[in-house]
Amino acid sequence: MVLEVREVNKVYGQGETAVNALKDVTFSVKKGEFVLVGGSSGSGKTTLLNMIGLLDRPTKGKILIDGIDTSSLSDNQISSFRNSKLGFVFQSSNLISDLTVLENVVLSRKIQRTDENALEEAIKLLKSVGLENQMNKYANKISGGQAQRVAICRALINKPSIVLADEPTGNLDSISAETMIQLLKSMNRKLGQTFIVVTHDREQFGEVDKVITVKDGRISEDKGMEVPVKV
Amino acid sequence: MDFRAHLGLRFILKRRGTLITASLAVAIAILVVQVNSVIFQGLYDAIVRDQINYKFGHVYITRQENFITKSDFVLVNWLERIPYVEAATPRLDTTASINATQSGQLVKHYDVPVIGVDPVRDPRASTIYKTVGDGQFVSSRNSIVLGALVARDLGGVHVGDSVKLKIKDSHGEDVLKRLTVVGITETAGSVGLDNAVIINIDTLREIIDRPHQTQSILVKLNDPTKAQEVKDLFLSAFPSTHDKFKAQTIEESAETTLRGFRSGIALINLVGYFGMMSSAFAVVTIQMMQVTSKTREIGIMRAMGIRRKDILIIFIFQGMVIGAIGAALGTMFGVSYTAYAKETHMTFQGSLPLEVHYNWISLIQTDLMAFSLAIVASIYPAYKGTKLQPVEAMRTV
Repeated sequence: MVLEVREVNKVYGQGETAVNALKDVTFSVKKGEFVLVGGSSGSGKTTLLNMIGLLDRPTKGKILIDGIDTSSLSDNQISSFRNSKLGFVFQSSNLISDLTVLENVVLSRKIQRTDENALEEAIKLLKSVGLENQMNKYANKISGGQAQRVAICRALINKPSIVLADEPTGNLDSISAETMIQLLKSMNRKLGQTFIVVTHDREQFGEVDKVITVKDGRISEDKGMEVPVKV
Repeated sequence: MDFRAHLGLRFILKRRGTLITASLAVAIAILVVQVNSVIFQGLYDAIVRDQINYKFGHVYITRQENFITKSDFVLVNWLERIPYVEAATPRLDTTASINATQSGQLVKHYDVPVIGVDPVRDPRASTIYKTVGDGQFVSSRNSIVLGALVARDLGGVHVGDSVKLKIKDSHGEDVLKRLTVVGITETAGSVGLDNAVIINIDTLREIIDRPHQTQSILVKLNDPTKAQEVKDLFLSAFPSTHDKFKAQTIEESAETTLRGFRSGIALINLVGYFGMMSSAFAVVTIQMMQVTSKTREIGIMRAMGIRRKDILIIFIFQGMVIGAIGAALGTMFGVSYTAYAKETHMTFQGSLPLEVHYNWISLIQTDLMAFSLAIVASIYPAYKGTKLQPVEAMRTV
C-alpha cells in the first residue's frame, strides 16, 4: 500500500465550539491507483487531503505513506517527506509569480538539493504538457489552464509516491478542465503515479480506480475499481 | 546560486519600491552619521589644528609652577637640532587693561589676554601671523596686533592708531605702555585670538620686568606622530627634577579644551546611531510587509517541502541585499557630502574652517553597522514567516 489512513480524526476548536471535521476515517490506496475523493462542500474532503499531504496533523489516528508512520516525524522530516513523497496540485495553481514557469518546476528539485539534470527533466515535463514555448514566462503571465499544467509538472518532477490534487479543475473552463483531466489520467497511466484527486464533480473524471465519498467528516463510500459515470 | 538566495533576491527585486524604500532608510542613516562626522569631527579637528597652530604647537613646554628662566635661545636651538622638529618659539602670556583714545576721548578700559611672541621665530613655528587680515604681524618693540573683537570694542581702532596697555609687573606694580596698532587679526574664535592682543615678547618681558624669562615654548614638528618621542627626548635632556620642565603633547596640553568637545561628539554620534536604530525599525516594518505580501508563496513553498530554516534564510538574505544596497548608497551619499564639505571649505559659523577628511575607517565601520542592523532587523520578520502554517498561508490571496 502506498497510503494507509487509519482512524483519522480531526477536531477544530475546543469545548462546545469544537468541530469534528474528520471522524474515524480509514482507507488505503495501492500504488498507481487513481483515486477520487468526492463529497459536498464542507464535507471534509479538503481537510482529508491536507492530512494526507501532511499540511496539517490529525487530532487522532495515523497516516502511513510507503509504510512510514508520518505521525512520529519531526517538522523538518515532514518537510523533507512532503518534498520527496508528495506532489501537490491546488485549485488555483499556486505557482510562485516571481519565478518563471521553468523555475517553478525546478524549485522542488532545488529544495531537495538534487538538481542535477533538473533543468532537462523539467523541460521534458513541460514539453509533455505542451508548454515548451512558455517556459521562460513569469508564472503570472500565463493562462489558468497553462498554470495548472505547470503545477502538474511541478508536482511530478520529484517523482513522488502520491500526487494530491485539490479541485484541480475548479477554476478552469470546461475545455481546459477536460484537457486537465485527460492529462492527469495519462500521467497516471504513463508514469504509474498514484493520484488522489479531490473533486465535487466526480462525473467529470469518468472511469477511475477508486472513489471515496466524504460526508460530514466520515467516509460514506469506499468503492474499488468503480465506474461511477461513463463520460 | 543557492536557491534560497535566488528566491530572496527575486522576491525583493520584484518589489522595487520596497527595495528602494528600505535601502534609502539604511542609506540615510549612514548619511546622518557621516554628516555628523564631517561637521563635528571636522570641528574637533579644526580646534585641534588651531590649538596646535596658534597656542600649543605639537609639543608644549612650560615650567612647573613658574616661568622658564633658562635661555629661550638655548632651548630653541637645542630643540631645533632634533630631526623631527621643524621649529620652536618662545611665548609669554599675561593680561592687561587696554584703552584707546580717539579725538581726546577715552573709549574703553577693560582686560584682555596679552600674548608675547618672537617676531622672527614665531612665524616659523606657528601660523598665528597668518591671522592678521589687516596690516602686518608684530615686528618692532612698540607694535601691537589687536584681535578683531578688541579693535571693535575699542570703537573701531585701525592700523596706525595707538592703544595703551596697563600691565602688572612681577612686583605687582602697574606699568603703562603705549603701543602702535600694526595689524588686526581676523581669525576664528576657537582659541580666543579675537579677544586677545599680540605684542613683541621682549616688550612684554620689559613691561613685566622678567628679562630673558619665558612662559612656554611651542614646538612644531615635521612629523606630528613623533610628539611623544620629542617630549621624552626633551625631558631626558632637561630632567624635571632639576629644571622642573613640563612637556606635553597636544593631546595633553589641549585636554581641558578638547574634553568637552569629545563628550559632545560622543553625544552627537549617539544621536546618529539612534537614527540608525530608527532605520532598523523601518527595515523591520518593510520586511514585515514583505513577509505578509509573500504569505501565499511561503505556504506554497512549505507545501513543496521547504524547511522553516530555508524561509528564515530567504528573508534574512533579503535583509542582506537591503543592507548592501543601503550601505553602497550611504557610502555614495557620505562621500559626496564629504567631498562637498572639502571642496567648499565648509566653515563653522562662517569663521572656523572645518578640518574635513575622508575617514574611510569610520565610513566602513558605519557601513558594516548599517549592514548588520539591516540583517538583524530582518530576523524577526523572517522568524514570523517561518511560523506560518502552509494550509493557513495558502488561503491568503
